[in-house]
Amino acid sequence: MRGDVFDPSSLQKQPGADRSGQAFFGLISLAVLAAFVMVGAVFWDVVQGSWDISTSRMWGFVSTSFVSNPDEAGVAQGIRGSLIIAGIVILSFPIGIGAAVYLEEYATDSWTTRLIQVTVRNLAGVPSIVYGLLGLAVFVQTLKGLTGGDSVISGALTLAILVLPIVIITSAEAIRAVPGSYRDGAYGLGATQWETIRTQVLPAAMPGILTGTVLSIARALGEAAPLLVVGAAGYYTTGNNDFLEQMRGAFTALPMNIATFTKEPAAIWRGHAAAASLVLLVLVFLINLVAIIGRARIAKRLGR
Amino acid sequence: MMIEGVLYLLVALLVAIIEYFVAGPIGDFGLSNWWIAAIIFAAFEGYCWPSGQTAVMRLMGSSVQLGDGSFAGPLRMAVRQLIRFLIVYAAPLWAFDFNVWRIVVIAVAVAVMIEALDRAGVGAKAPWDLFVGSAVVEGGIAGVSPDLGPIRSIADLRLAPGRAAQNERARKAMFAAGLSSVVVSVLIVLNIFTEAWVFVSDQEFSWGLLTDVGWFPRRGQFDLSTLFVGTLWVTVIAMVVAGPVGIGVAFYLSEYAGDRTQRIVKPLIETLASIPSVVLGLFAISFIFPKILQPIFADIGIFSLLAAGLGVGVLTVPIVASISEDAMRAVPGELREASYGLGARKATTALRVVFPAAISGISAALIVGVSRAIGETMVVFIAAGGSGGALFESDPTEPGQTLTAAMASVGAGTDSVAGSGIAFQSLYFLGALLFLATLLLNVVSDFIVRRFRQVY
Repeated sequence: MRGDVFDPSSLQKQPGADRSGQAFFGLISLAVLAAFVMVGAVFWDVVQGSWDISTSRMWGFVSTSFVSNPDEAGVAQGIRGSLIIAGIVILSFPIGIGAAVYLEEYATDSWTTRLIQVTVRNLAGVPSIVYGLLGLAVFVQTLKGLTGGDSVISGALTLAILVLPIVIITSAEAIRAVPGSYRDGAYGLGATQWETIRTQVLPAAMPGILTGTVLSIARALGEAAPLLVVGAAGYYTTGNNDFLEQMRGAFTALPMNIATFTKEPAAIWRGHAAAASLVLLVLVFLINLVAIIGRARIAKRLGR
Repeated sequence: MMIEGVLYLLVALLVAIIEYFVAGPIGDFGLSNWWIAAIIFAAFEGYCWPSGQTAVMRLMGSSVQLGDGSFAGPLRMAVRQLIRFLIVYAAPLWAFDFNVWRIVVIAVAVAVMIEALDRAGVGAKAPWDLFVGSAVVEGGIAGVSPDLGPIRSIADLRLAPGRAAQNERARKAMFAAGLSSVVVSVLIVLNIFTEAWVFVSDQEFSWGLLTDVGWFPRRGQFDLSTLFVGTLWVTVIAMVVAGPVGIGVAFYLSEYAGDRTQRIVKPLIETLASIPSVVLGLFAISFIFPKILQPIFADIGIFSLLAAGLGVGVLTVPIVASISEDAMRAVPGELREASYGLGARKATTALRVVFPAAISGISAALIVGVSRAIGETMVVFIAAGGSGGALFESDPTEPGQTLTAAMASVGAGTDSVAGSGIAFQSLYFLGALLFLATLLLNVVSDFIVRRFRQVY
């Protein structure tokens, strides 16, 4: 071999040399494509299924209550229930953010801290229907005098507990991402720990916290299993009484409507299920939009 | 002080007169009139009293330093106003539903408060602040910090007791919030297991019922194997979908995707994660069944474990994808560079270097996916059929029942089941099993991550 001139082109990739690598990339692309197809199929299915209703009487559908005539039935009660739930779920935010602040800012490595961490992690993995059992026992049965039994208050408080670990975990992540120099600066100016947290850490973490809390509202809006156990009606035909009665009486929510419409034996109701799904998806989308805009505005105000 | 006190009494008198004319003669004083009077009273007082003014200023951005040295925010000021309102007006009005007495009581209460304030020498403060615990120091203009006095000695530099106390209060409040998760966990465990014990120890219950033919809680047949088989099928089918797709997407995102494609694919996965499970239940019935399953299995019914499993699979993809992606991203770039430096191809690097290094995270992702698939309720409740109960069925193209769907069926009929024997308690029994199963999976995935994680 002596005397052979080194040919740099021999180092170039030969055509077809990386066939197995290309096959691997092909497989991976197939997986991504599958995910695209899933999302596309779900949305296509919802839009296509709700086409009849959404092109002919969408406003009537969202503004009228349930009646047994499929041509007139609407989901106004479900929308109202879902909105009340979204409002009440907000109650869990101060507690969740407070817990996150404790875990990230105050907690020392003690057994109480570890206990809190372990319970938060496990609660995040508990199936949603188990929260329904908790709500049934605590809010529907034990606190019946306060909540009125299987009412929207019981359902919403159950969901507030359900999203608590999500709020804690996302807020803790956002707080953890705040650089330590922010805290050092505040301490250097003589602020107490609480003043540091309130004036530096929380504002800096706010975009992340906001994202987490809004996602948790979206999650609460989509949950049906706990409501089912707590005793939400699929739909009901009475109601529209005074406010207190609405809060403590029979209630329903959009996901409950969807589930019940879908389980109806007559296929015509499946169109209603799809239309209600469309409403729910739009609602979730709007809430996410609020989060995105809010995050951008806060980030802008903080000059980042 | 004197002038303010006189003014206050005049206001009280004025309001009493208004009350009289609004409410009519003695003893005829309804709730609505009560409110009108209270609102007029509060508005008047809010206008002329320092505390009311500082509250308004505070809401507009001024700082208010309280008597104990801490600073009050709008929320705290609002709460203080509320407490004050309740003490000064609402309590006596409520206690004596009788006009003359009410006027007298208000007048006496106000007089006593003013007297007490004078004695305490607090100065020009609103009387109610004695009751709230601290007096309002005059509010500053926005942005102007309160005068803390000249610094003469080291002691002046020491943290004001008010700020220290506030700091301590905040710490305690945050700790209490942190305990919420412990409280919820304890409540879940206590409730579910005591009720499950009620089920097991009931006279109607015998362990033989758990191996009866089929799951029909209202007929007293609680065959667990029916539910286990259903759960197993749904989970296996879901993971067959979600495992490869999720890990493939994770490979793509962490190893292949550039910035721009990431910005398309990541939101897509997030969209998939945000689709409510009921919508996927509908999807299983109106898309998976007619468009995918019917062409393949000629005699499949609309409700089947297979359709439900596929629906749950779609739901599980984003979980597997995002956790595996995090695990792969955590593999340091040096490992990839070393691999490339040795001449390895991209695929080899991904499969032989990144994948083994991230294997603990990826298996944790799969376990969490399984845990999620087991716990998923609505898709199965809607798409697997078997509302009232189900016979033992090992064929996934037939309707069936899972742990969660069985719970949902019992729970959906809460009212009618509540009185009928132990059927209702079976809900908690299944809940306990489900809780233990998912807890075990979560603990295992945690253990794997801890035990096998490579620390770089």
